[in-house]
Amino acid sequence: MTTALVITRLVSKMRLSLERLRVSLEDLRRAEEGSRQQAALLDLTHDTVLVRDSQGRLTFWNRAAHELYGWSAEEAIGQPTHKLLRTEFPAPLAAVEAELHRTGRWEGELTQSRRDDSRIVVASRWSLQRDVDAQPVATLETNNDITARKRAEDALSQAQAELARVARVTTLGQLAASIAHEVNQPLTAIIADSSAALNWLALEQPDLDKARAALLAIAKDGARAAKVLTHIRGMLSSRSEQPYQACDVCTVVRETLLLLRGEFARHSIRVDTSLPPERPLMVMGDPIQLQQVLLNLLLNAVEASKDVAADRRCIVVATSLRGDESRGAVVIDVRDMGVGVDDVALPRLFEPFYTTKPGGLGMGLSVGKAIVERHAGQLWVSRNADYGVTFHVSIPALP
Amino acid sequence: MSPDRPLVRVVDDDESVRRAVGELLRSVGFSVVAYRSAQDFLSEDKPDKPGCLVLDVHLPGLTGLELQKELVGTERALPIIFLTGMGDIPMSVSAMKGGAVEFLTKPFDTPSLLEAVRSAVEKDREDRLERKKLCLLKERYESLTPREREVMQRIVAGRMNKQIAAEFGTSEATVKEQRARVMLKMQAESLVTLVLMARRLGL
Repeated sequence: MTTALVITRLVSKMRLSLERLRVSLEDLRRAEEGSRQQAALLDLTHDTVLVRDSQGRLTFWNRAAHELYGWSAEEAIGQPTHKLLRTEFPAPLAAVEAELHRTGRWEGELTQSRRDDSRIVVASRWSLQRDVDAQPVATLETNNDITARKRAEDALSQAQAELARVARVTTLGQLAASIAHEVNQPLTAIIADSSAALNWLALEQPDLDKARAALLAIAKDGARAAKVLTHIRGMLSSRSEQPYQACDVCTVVRETLLLLRGEFARHSIRVDTSLPPERPLMVMGDPIQLQQVLLNLLLNAVEASKDVAADRRCIVVATSLRGDESRGAVVIDVRDMGVGVDDVALPRLFEPFYTTKPGGLGMGLSVGKAIVERHAGQLWVSRNADYGVTFHVSIPALP
Repeated sequence: MSPDRPLVRVVDDDESVRRAVGELLRSVGFSVVAYRSAQDFLSEDKPDKPGCLVLDVHLPGLTGLELQKELVGTERALPIIFLTGMGDIPMSVSAMKGGAVEFLTKPFDTPSLLEAVRSAVEKDREDRLERKKLCLLKERYESLTPREREVMQRIVAGRMNKQIAAEFGTSEATVKEQRARVMLKMQAESLVTLVLMARRLGL
């Protein structure tokens, strides 16, 4: 009786256990089915999805990865990810890993290799998976092939740089007479000073102090002429776009004015500047291209001013910092008192090939606007209350 | 600085050129005053000093050519040597028509400038002498009585004493007397001289 009872209870318990086991197995099967379905879903996406363990070895590789890189999942899984793909990082890998571990995420552009050795650029997103003890166990990486877009962007940027260069060379061509003038001035001084020095030395009592002063002036004017030529060589160079650098807008203004002095003189135009002397106004940019923008604005101002009365032949160039330290902008204002712009021309000024000048190409302002916009800035024009117009260039300031 | 040493005015907005041209002229014995603009020259120059003007064409504000127009025919007129970085033919024609002594394109050689300055200084000496003579002549003319001036006008127009007497309704003897006084006051030794004087006075 007792034995029978015990057996009955045991059987009942075993049934229960079996039932539980069956349920567990069912759960497991369902879970497996679920993860298979998830993996199948991941195979459907066009984004490449890969997972690597804490050692950096691949543990998951979807079909899109196979299609993009050329290796099948069987070939890829177990391989060290960065070695297989010969990944180039935008920052040192240690810094990338540090950010991933600090925030759990990382995003950036990577250059990688495919099985056929061709290089591709991908937009990559990483996220870190941790276990219950918060220890990192795996990293999920999804990559988007942006090679074609990058190539198009580079081509566009190169085309824009080339257009800017051609416009620059054309502008400088128009300035040839002015540039000759700018070299002629120091040459004139050098010739006069050398004769003066000889005369001071030829006196019965040679005046050494005056001869010395003349020779010093010769050295100074020689350097001045050389500076003009170096500057022009820079503007004419056929280099493609340079990486942006921190540059002082006031220096850009001064160097551009130097190039145009002959032009101002030729048309008897006075130029006043208001450049804050206390500190430089720094922006990120290409100084040659910024000079080009300014060169065009100033040439327009000269064109507008050259035929008005003497007291209105005046151009003012002012630089200032607007806004606060962190989100401020450096603004350059080029103000003339010339003939002004009529209602028809005003909205069309920045259109390519729109010109009000006989013989003008109509490229100066449209190229200028494109350059300023590539610097994340703005170029616009306003009418002055009395005479002429003011062009404004605004570029985000470096803190 | 000796008072009669010629004074060369240099007007150029380019600091290097202004200083160097000034030094060159000083090194050969001229007195020099340099200005950076036409306006500065107009407000500060002492016109009574003989000499000349070395003037850049392309000045900010009032240009060299505009300054030349302001000066021509006035008491302040000075012989002008133009300097230009970018000379064109119409501009040089305009300058020379306006009485410029020389039109030099920068960079110019030293002998050309010195030669031009010397001849300009010489021209100014003659011009001033002429102006002085004209001034004396005017003083003499102004010393004539109104009737004497009327008589003088008729003499130089070739009228006979008789005709003048008839016109004024006076005697020939009176006209003869007035005529003698005109010749005396004007210090004219002959009728020809008087005619030349009248022409210079613009009568």
